[in-house]
Amino acid sequence: MSAGAIRVTNLRLQLGAFTLRDLNLSLDQGEILVILGPNGAGKSVSLEAIAGFHRLLGGHILIGGREVTRLPPERRHISLMFQNFGLFPHLTVARNVAFGRRGVDPLRLLARFDVAALAARYPDTLSPGQKQRVALARALAAQPQLFLFDEPFSALDMPTRELLRDELKAFLRESGVPAIFVTHERSDVEALADKIAVMDNGSIIQAGEAAEVLRRPADTAVANFLGIENILKGRSLGHANGVMHVAIGDAILAARPAATAGEVTVCIRAEDVAPAPAEGAGAAAAAVNRLAARVGAVTSFGPFYKVRLDCGFPLLAHLTKREVRTLGLAPGRRVMVEIEAEAIHVLAAPGPARRPAAGGG
Amino acid sequence: MSLTPAGWTDRIAGGRISGRPRMLLLVFWLLGSMLVAFIVIPLLGLAAMQSGATLARVAMQPSVEGAIALSLKAAFVTVAFAALFGVPLAYVLARTSFPGRGLLAALIDIPLSVPHPVAGIALLSVLGRRGVVGMPAAALFGLKFWGTLAGIVAAMLFVAAPYTVNAARIGFESVDPRLEKVSRTLGLGPWRTFLRVTLPLARRSIMTGLVLTYARAISEFAAVAILVYYPMTAPVKVYELFLRFGLDEAAAMAVLLMIVCLALFILFRQLAYGREVPIGSGR
Repeated sequence: MSAGAIRVTNLRLQLGAFTLRDLNLSLDQGEILVILGPNGAGKSVSLEAIAGFHRLLGGHILIGGREVTRLPPERRHISLMFQNFGLFPHLTVARNVAFGRRGVDPLRLLARFDVAALAARYPDTLSPGQKQRVALARALAAQPQLFLFDEPFSALDMPTRELLRDELKAFLRESGVPAIFVTHERSDVEALADKIAVMDNGSIIQAGEAAEVLRRPADTAVANFLGIENILKGRSLGHANGVMHVAIGDAILAARPAATAGEVTVCIRAEDVAPAPAEGAGAAAAAVNRLAARVGAVTSFGPFYKVRLDCGFPLLAHLTKREVRTLGLAPGRRVMVEIEAEAIHVLAAPGPARRPAAGGG
Repeated sequence: MSLTPAGWTDRIAGGRISGRPRMLLLVFWLLGSMLVAFIVIPLLGLAAMQSGATLARVAMQPSVEGAIALSLKAAFVTVAFAALFGVPLAYVLARTSFPGRGLLAALIDIPLSVPHPVAGIALLSVLGRRGVVGMPAAALFGLKFWGTLAGIVAAMLFVAAPYTVNAARIGFESVDPRLEKVSRTLGLGPWRTFLRVTLPLARRSIMTGLVLTYARAISEFAAVAILVYYPMTAPVKVYELFLRFGLDEAAAMAVLLMIVCLALFILFRQLAYGREVPIGSGR
């Protein structure tokens, strides 16, 4: 199958009260772009527009240099997958895979995904993992040059979601077909994304390489959508010794330098809050903040605990169960935690005007 | 028939289950049984008052057999027209929104609330000898709605088509539009998507609508009698027997008609729902 770079430029459309403004996306062969945003942001509409289901006011969609903007969905070679993977409930697995194709051997495709034994079954008898494999086999039969996924995992529990996500990523990597994945689940972003586009209210508010966007959200709204647990109001105290100092209430923290002054927003990921080593065990470097905290609620989630701390300001920490056990953390206890200055990201405080849409990729 | 819903059997076998709504089911069965009795007892009474001799005599009359056959045939043609024109309308109502959509849906239901003699009179004024449709249709195509099968079908279609439209609309509304989109991205155009995805998934509802349409069509009396009268359909013939020979003859034919209809609808149910279509995984 041939795959090429995807270029979506200045896509505009109007759908009732909803407006999609100048959607720009760009991804290369084999890349996965994750579009993240709240409900109603326009993520699904964007996918459907790329797949060809909406009349556009303007813009272009190119797949490997081939302009598909004016083609109907059935001629674009774009695969679209929804929650539950959109298998046809009235057809067997084999007939789903051969759907609309002549000369396709469904068994050969199913065998590639180790599900040939399911050929005679109906979709509602399959597990989510089996459904995904059948849906991918079916999609491959149509030789897609772009995969679109609209929250395919939204009905699944977390362990299943993680399993299917890993399988999907391995498949996409192997096939080399670029993919756009819409979600509002942060863990999908970190597990899948080469690139990220954060969307709100019909516009992309930040786009770029995944690591860059995750580390440096452009504004408070993006930080929120990325699920950064601690987003705090602070005040810039200026730069010194290669770090920036910010005041949060009475506490003063060293942070990664940023070109902001006055009122600021301070972003700290819960996973970057660590228990401090015992006093005197290696003097804390200047670039590490040490904070005395009082433990609040401790809630279990997966292999971690969410630990609410009061350091003069509220701080959520994700600690491993082992750390919590070793430190004997319980509500009311006092504890020292540390945060590297490099892990503290400072943004301009949200102003009345939102940033203009950033270009894709 | 069992008092036990499927799935509870094994738990009940294990002992007393506090979660089983025994009283609720008991009360509901009692209330439901009253309705069943209300429907069944008059029908049984009608059947019971027949003497075998009268039944046989009525059944032997060619005009009775002819009337029943005509009813069955006309209702079939009616169902075909209801499907041809009603299913597309149902799809449009289910899948698109346009100004006046609610009004259109309400218009479709009007025949259900109009007294049937009124429907007959309305049709007569349009399709009759001097009607705005009836006159040119007869002059140009030789299509007459009086004294013909066409007239019977017209009267039946008017009163019965809403059942097809409404049931099919509910069927189409229950098909996830995203499945249609998936079909498109797999390379099928809108027509093939409709035939291969939408229609099969709405099949049960559409079949229900067609069966109801058939039932409604075969039972129509007033509209058919006013617009056509001759040739006589079964209900018109029952009425005629009642006027000419009295209750016994009329009741005998009514029982014959009931038996034919009962057999037919058992057959329809088998054809329409016999094969279970798995539903629900695409939602």
